[in-house]
Amino acid sequence: MYIATVAFSACGGCENSLLSAGEPLVSLLSEHTVSFSSLLVDKRSVSPSDVVLASGCIRNSQEREVALEIARTSRKIVAVGTCAVYGGIGGLRMLEPAEEGEGSNGVLPELFEKALPLDSIMGVELFVPGCPPPSNLIMEALKSVLEGYTPLHFESTVCSDCTRRVARKKLKSVHGHPGPGVADNACLLNAGVLCMGPVTRGGCRAACPRAGTACLGCRGPSDAVLSSQLHSMHSDMVSVIARTSGAREDKVAQLLDPLREMMYLFTTADPVTRGRVKERVPGE
Amino acid sequence: MNNTADVAGSEEFSGQKVRLYPVTRIQGRADIELSFTPDQEVRAVRFRALEKRGMEGLVTRLPVMRAPAVMSRVCGTCGPFHQLASCMAIEDALGVEVSAEAVWFRELTSWLNLTVSHLTTIMYHALPDFALPTSDAAVKNIAGIYMVDQEYVSRLSHALTSISEALFALVGNSLRPAVAVPGGVSTIPDEAALQSASELLKACDDDLRETMRLAEMLTRRESKMMEAESRLPGYYMCSAAGGRAALLGDEVAAGAFSGGNAITLDPEAFLAAIEERPVPWSYLVPLAVRGLEPAMVGPLARLNVGFGEDTPVADLECRRAVEQWGHPLSSEFFYMLALSLESIWAWEKARGLLSVGPPSGGKPCETVQPGAGQGVAILDSPRGILAHAVSIDEKGLVDSYHVMSPLQFNYLMINEHLTSLAERTVHGIDISDAEASRLQMAVRSFNPCVPCGTH
Repeated sequence: MYIATVAFSACGGCENSLLSAGEPLVSLLSEHTVSFSSLLVDKRSVSPSDVVLASGCIRNSQEREVALEIARTSRKIVAVGTCAVYGGIGGLRMLEPAEEGEGSNGVLPELFEKALPLDSIMGVELFVPGCPPPSNLIMEALKSVLEGYTPLHFESTVCSDCTRRVARKKLKSVHGHPGPGVADNACLLNAGVLCMGPVTRGGCRAACPRAGTACLGCRGPSDAVLSSQLHSMHSDMVSVIARTSGAREDKVAQLLDPLREMMYLFTTADPVTRGRVKERVPGE
Repeated sequence: MNNTADVAGSEEFSGQKVRLYPVTRIQGRADIELSFTPDQEVRAVRFRALEKRGMEGLVTRLPVMRAPAVMSRVCGTCGPFHQLASCMAIEDALGVEVSAEAVWFRELTSWLNLTVSHLTTIMYHALPDFALPTSDAAVKNIAGIYMVDQEYVSRLSHALTSISEALFALVGNSLRPAVAVPGGVSTIPDEAALQSASELLKACDDDLRETMRLAEMLTRRESKMMEAESRLPGYYMCSAAGGRAALLGDEVAAGAFSGGNAITLDPEAFLAAIEERPVPWSYLVPLAVRGLEPAMVGPLARLNVGFGEDTPVADLECRRAVEQWGHPLSSEFFYMLALSLESIWAWEKARGLLSVGPPSGGKPCETVQPGAGQGVAILDSPRGILAHAVSIDEKGLVDSYHVMSPLQFNYLMINEHLTSLAERTVHGIDISDAEASRLQMAVRSFNPCVPCGTH
């Protein structure tokens, strides 16, 4: 089969995650043909492919052209990483006015005001969110598309993989950084740290909370959050904190207010989650 | 492959341009644009970065304590270094002293991250240029090498995964460890994790030495090419401590590729000498260091500054290379040798830190109270000198943020070197695959990371 990789507006983390697979990846590539991949091979033009691993969001005119060409010539596209799936951290740019003159001199590709998730301009077969997604998830996605089986779907949240212990505890404030004083086994959210584990899709083995830092929500909303319009990352976080702290939901919502933007760090560009963050921005 | 366009009448060039797009086997999206005189002689060559995400703008007005996590997304390879630089800049702004225990762990993870980054670069990006220099583009890649020498790829892969697993044992995430936070580190690994990491590092001893031997052999094979090519222009520079290359040094060491002794600058003098040189044809803003133009940062620069006696294997190999080829090593063909020597250097550093263990008595993380302030941090990332500067308002929000990355420092030298190379090797606008490949290899020898460069 013909395999390709492409990175649009991206940091390269997803590509590095793929490369970190090492020999299993190289072995797989040697059994197939790499149709194009500026990361791996010296072929330069887009050519028809069976599977394209696409990372990054669409941020300028050249990226859109390439994306449309790929959509036209490829059979299956796998959106790898949160930028490709939800717009990622580049989506925060929507909150900023475009810098004057950038990309408008006719020499460089024109920059867009908004970061676009891939499925906004091309059909996507499979989504692998994460910043970056663990190597094994990307490899599993690639193999599943090549071999035609359904990959593992992570319905659970980051908390399901986290070994920290949750306790019912009053909460005076919520902040964005653990600092000193969170015991090794204590739940970060219990300790007043905005950890997005309860509302974020699992599959990452709770890497950040295990290392003592808050989950930033890079794998995007969990199935529970996406299940209906009555849920959002914000409202579900309020419910979880209210439940574990015994506080009223409106009080918790007040505590979370200054950190609202942080809850949608990776998903602001996504139409669904964007609507949800905007409806809660005072004055909009 | 090449797009030619008649640009006669443009403000900057008359004649024709040829575009090599994209530059392959690098991080990010870029092209090489060659402009020719009407007589089809090379006039200038530009390496152009074609993407930009505006990370400095993204982080502005966010709570400063979350800035390191955001800035770690500047780059997928050097992310942990951006995160660390961001933490250090915030600590500088807020006057926070980090404990020795936290510094120990930050250093340990930095060395491991550097090794992972270098091994990845060797395996996927650099090795095909050296192992299959004249092969067709269709097979000049890691899969092509795998088909003819599976054992060597297995060795490299084993070293890469062993060190990644050591990182995973220590911080639970081998790609973007979130361990550096303003004030220190979020966790200190327990004894079992330290033991596991030590064993994993020990297990890749042979693989790293084999990688170094192969790099040396392949570099020697290029010796005739080196003699035919001109030397790199300008200067090399890196973060240093006690006159030796360091990742978290307290000075900047620099020397000329033409020879002579290295000099050291204190960080303030270095920062004061930096000058932005924006160009309209790239999203990247080149940086010049006055008095040291053009400059190269990264593995070859550090190799020329030299390692210390605390890493005996790397130090010995470094001396052997200098005995063989002279000092300074001033050809782009030393690129893979530098990567492999530094992999050993970083591996030895990490093993040394693991063997002494974390200093006791301090807190992993100091209390940080966000408030108004300005701070800056300079360190060396795998690709060279990296600086972050932050200004924080009284509410603890980021007021402004500025990143100075390795590719920005390297940019002037890349273009000067490419132009010089193309003048000698490119004959007319019908650029052959071999000519294009040679220019691309020259770019790769600077290990460019476009996402870092344009951020």
